[in-house]
Amino acid sequence: MDVLNLFLSLVPVTLAQSLILSFVVLAVMIPFRILSFPDLTSEGSYPLGGCVCAVALLAGVPPLLALALAAAAGFLAGVVTAVIHLRFRIHTLLAGILVTTMLYSVNLRVMGKANLPIFGEAKIYDFFPFDLGSVNYTKIIIAGLFALFVFVLLNLWFRTERGIAMRAVGSNPDMSEAQGISVWKATIGGVGMAGAFAAIGGGLMVQSQGFSDANMGLGILINALAALMIGEALVGKRTITQMLAAPFVGAFAYYQLISLCLAAGLPPSDLKIATGVFVLLMLAGPELRRAKGPRAAQESFRE
Amino acid sequence: MTQQALDVKAARKTFFPGTADEKIALNDLNLSLDAGDFGIIIGSNGAGKSTMLNAISGALPIDSGQVLINGTDVTRTSVDRRAKHVARVFQDPMKGTAASMTIAENMLLAEMRQSPATLRKGLTKARRDKYRDLLAQLRLGLEDRLETQVSLLSGGQRQSLSLVMAVSGEPDLLLLDEHTAALDPRTAAIVLDATMRAVEALKLTTLMVTHNMQHAIDYGTRIIMLDAGQVKSDITGAAKAQCTVQSLVDQFSHKSDHMLLGA
Repeated sequence: MDVLNLFLSLVPVTLAQSLILSFVVLAVMIPFRILSFPDLTSEGSYPLGGCVCAVALLAGVPPLLALALAAAAGFLAGVVTAVIHLRFRIHTLLAGILVTTMLYSVNLRVMGKANLPIFGEAKIYDFFPFDLGSVNYTKIIIAGLFALFVFVLLNLWFRTERGIAMRAVGSNPDMSEAQGISVWKATIGGVGMAGAFAAIGGGLMVQSQGFSDANMGLGILINALAALMIGEALVGKRTITQMLAAPFVGAFAYYQLISLCLAAGLPPSDLKIATGVFVLLMLAGPELRRAKGPRAAQESFRE
Repeated sequence: MTQQALDVKAARKTFFPGTADEKIALNDLNLSLDAGDFGIIIGSNGAGKSTMLNAISGALPIDSGQVLINGTDVTRTSVDRRAKHVARVFQDPMKGTAASMTIAENMLLAEMRQSPATLRKGLTKARRDKYRDLLAQLRLGLEDRLETQVSLLSGGQRQSLSLVMAVSGEPDLLLLDEHTAALDPRTAAIVLDATMRAVEALKLTTLMVTHNMQHAIDYGTRIIMLDAGQVKSDITGAAKAQCTVQSLVDQFSHKSDHMLLGA
């Protein structure tokens, strides 16, 4: 019973956390699923967004504008990864690792030190006009509105002519080019968009926790990947709506699982192995289920 | 001088230049097509057929020479910017369509060759109706499966879809790269029949690569034989009408191909 009570008491915290994480999951899903461009840049663009946001807030920039600046910085990080791949034919994963590594130095430069408290500054969560008794509820509502807005916007975007053209580049780049679509523009736009979402996640997190830290991205990518795998297992990944819903559902489910582990007494230091096991289970599951049947078709990604 | 639909002037392409594997794929090749011409390209393996189509579509930049489409020099124009003028169907049915997208979405991609993508909604009802009509002409039932993912279609269905996509928007130039070679005989006949009907109805300027000599005789207005990166012979009119499979095969330079092509 204690486990359950503890778990339930954690729900408001984990819900706010998962809404923020869902932006990073989106940043993993869009290049990976829509552009066939597996990308690790979010490990660097998430803290970049946080750092830029914190510095902007300390400079007196309003919270919403600070978040927009963070998004712009994240977009730029994604563009760099995309260009490294397109121009130099470097594998997408390696391009992302390179940018993430370099961003660590950039983030320290931006902040001037490893940790930047912003407790006294105005936050995006202050916009909510009513007192709900707990700051967590305010965070849930503000972050939830952001998530809803982005989800609706992306659903519309990927049904416009340009959005469909962007998806085509991920599905068959050579064919897209032959239909007059610029692979460069679509890839740069898509990976840049993902970078912006990761950075918005970082910005929302910094405003939620009240400080920015150069190491705040550590392991965020594998958390996001775990959430994405869980989300796709729950809602599917066939249609564009399913693809876009998976990050939000997955982020929620993932944090509930983590919180359950904590409530059950798992020490926080063991969470990484728990996350790794989740990812493994989600990836291995379909393979194990069809172990007796014919092998699954290989998925192809850009080299 | 009338304007040519396609004009390839002294196109030259060398693979692996300066190495032991050096291969001159296009050796100052010249070829021009009038509007409405339907050229059938034949030639042995390595004669430069695919390289020539790649040079025309822009997939492969040439070392020297020029490619003009409707009088416009497109030699340095990228594939995506030539797409407005050139449509292509590949041998591999997987290459011409986006597998993870629906039939309707693929049709939309083809339509966007002519009108660049905007921020407007892609699949409107008017467009779906139009695609249904276009696909109905194939008589394969694809018109009832607009929301089906292309990956679920058979090779023949995918190739038929590629064809409809290629001819939609009436491209200035249609390139068919052995587009029925990977299909079973019955499906190949269906796709070929649809090709001929579309080319005829829309009076498309077309280049079709084939290894089937009978097709070269039966279809098209010109037989263009390539050898060693050059046009070896260009047969039209009465001369074309008198061609036989044997007379064509006899012109092939490589003995090893005789067995293959004479069969």
